[in-house]
Amino acid sequence: MSDEPLLRVDRLSKHYPVSKGVLFARSLGQVKAVDDISFSIPAGGTLGLVGESGCGKTTTSKLILNLEAPTSGQVLLDGTPIHGLEGAALKQFRARVQAVFQDPWSSLNPRMTVGRTIAESLIVTGWGSREEIAARVAELMVQVGLRPEQVTQYPHEFSGGQRQRIALASALASRPRLIVLDEPISALDVSIRAQMMNLLKDIQAQDNVTYLLIAHDLATVRHMADQTVVMYLGKIVERAPTRALFDDVRHPYTKALFSAVLPPHPDRRQDEIVLVGEIPSPLNPPSGCRFHTRCPFVMARCAEQEPPLRELAPDHHVACHLYA
Amino acid sequence: MSAAPILEVRDLHTHFELSRGVVKAVDGVSFTLHRGEVLGLVGESGCGKSLTALSVLRLLPKGIARTVQGQILYDGQDLLTKTPREMREIRGRKISMILQDPQTSLNPVFSIGDQLREAIYRRTRAGKAAVMREAVEALRRVDIAAPEQRIGQFPHQMSGGMKQRVVGAIVMAGHPEVLIADEPTTALDVTIQLQYLKLLKAMQQETGMAMLFITHDFGVVARMCDRVAVMYAGRIVECGPVQQVFDHPSHPYTQALIASVPKMTGSAERLYTVEGQPPSLMDLPIGCRFAPRCPHAEQRCRDSYPGSFSAGDAHTADCWRLAAA
Repeated sequence: MSDEPLLRVDRLSKHYPVSKGVLFARSLGQVKAVDDISFSIPAGGTLGLVGESGCGKTTTSKLILNLEAPTSGQVLLDGTPIHGLEGAALKQFRARVQAVFQDPWSSLNPRMTVGRTIAESLIVTGWGSREEIAARVAELMVQVGLRPEQVTQYPHEFSGGQRQRIALASALASRPRLIVLDEPISALDVSIRAQMMNLLKDIQAQDNVTYLLIAHDLATVRHMADQTVVMYLGKIVERAPTRALFDDVRHPYTKALFSAVLPPHPDRRQDEIVLVGEIPSPLNPPSGCRFHTRCPFVMARCAEQEPPLRELAPDHHVACHLYA
Repeated sequence: MSAAPILEVRDLHTHFELSRGVVKAVDGVSFTLHRGEVLGLVGESGCGKSLTALSVLRLLPKGIARTVQGQILYDGQDLLTKTPREMREIRGRKISMILQDPQTSLNPVFSIGDQLREAIYRRTRAGKAAVMREAVEALRRVDIAAPEQRIGQFPHQMSGGMKQRVVGAIVMAGHPEVLIADEPTTALDVTIQLQYLKLLKAMQQETGMAMLFITHDFGVVARMCDRVAVMYAGRIVECGPVQQVFDHPSHPYTQALIASVPKMTGSAERLYTVEGQPPSLMDLPIGCRFAPRCPHAEQRCRDSYPGSFSAGDAHTADCWRLAAA
């Protein structure tokens, strides 16, 4: 691995203005969906992004996919900023960064055969001749565990797990460097999830592709990711190598997330940290540390000062006044 | 728990009758639910767990699905012989249900107070002020902050977790003896899920009601249930005390489900997987339904469906391998 990571997210922010009324619109403020976050992923690695609704996971993925422009900060792929790309460079970027979304029922076009769906990105980018594309599609079908002759079938003829394989095949078609996996297994049945996770790992081992895995399930992240980033209301609260994080959870919010994981066995009930209240609105996030309204360890300064991300152990960063 | 069960389902068959053929969604399900007990019903999509619950309440989609065989005994009386009017008295008062999505179980054009007061009035027939007092109290019990203000609000003004707690308050207002919870936390965030599970457990223990908890998540079962029934392709394939089933899962399907979930501790480079998918409910195998995916399948598994064999104290599993033992 060279020094420059494949993906670098540098002080990235995305604020959405919120206004009321049309003609005499007045501004109600801004939703700071993502607020000054930084992380990087080395080539061939997997970074897990964890958090609950409204934490900014999806906005982060949209920024990285170049579907939204940031308010400030930048995203670099192989050292090159991705926002502001145009024409051929943008097309090339689209071929190098792909995505698989949560719901395989809505992410596939019901009126296209799966072969056509998989070939789509190759056709658009003028990847090769008809025959070359057909051969590549057949190869991809095998790679994701489907039969090549199934290319003429339509999405409704497949089960959820198979559809997610098709979505993955079409993401892989252009040989991307990075795939954003947005909750790729949460819509699948329990016995199918393990198949999908194993497949994702196999493909990474073969193709050295990099994953940004967005998930809410910590056990999935533990199984898949080398590094984990925990977000709360647009901020990174903890960032660490996955193993270090699971061995030594520091931030109170991460602790609460961990304790909310249900036990694998009735004997192994742990001490539960039950958070009070709801996730606050991102329109008016709490002052200081955004978690202070629900934090069991809240102190006076938490409401006043925003804690910076501090490195407490090698690569283990935590934003909390407890460790000041 | 030797007393008569509050709910007993015997050999229930609920089918969808479509022009293409008959879908045997529930195909011979039997279980008992005792007072004060929480029974988990676990399985994957399409295994028939929700349809079993809807059959119990007789809320099947009209003209499409029909219970063709079986008995549903509530306190000794067969619900399948009740008139629609009698069923209305049972629903909400004797047997209540919480659905997965609080968005669709609350009426968007009435305030939550209206919906809660209606449920309380149905039971108490009390005056306006008394109903109002009880409604505020009910919201407080489900941990809604500032219930006096919240009571006038509409569902869209609340978060998912809060809405689900309002549903909980409405359900409890009828003082049901049996609560069917169908994936009540699947739509909630993880920290909110834990809040809600704790609340349900507390309400259940306080009132001593029986609960049928439908889920696909063994973690929820471990946290909430006393006994568990595992469903596969329209049948219960294993049933027993939670502790027993987790310690000695006896049906290969249960074993696979427990093994394929990634763990929070220990190391597992590769997850255990079951190949293939559940069979089509229009064309079920004659033998064991899991046989096509089962690593231990033999000829007799494909030839005939195994009966329920004992796998321990009050623990049964439908697997031929237990017959030999």
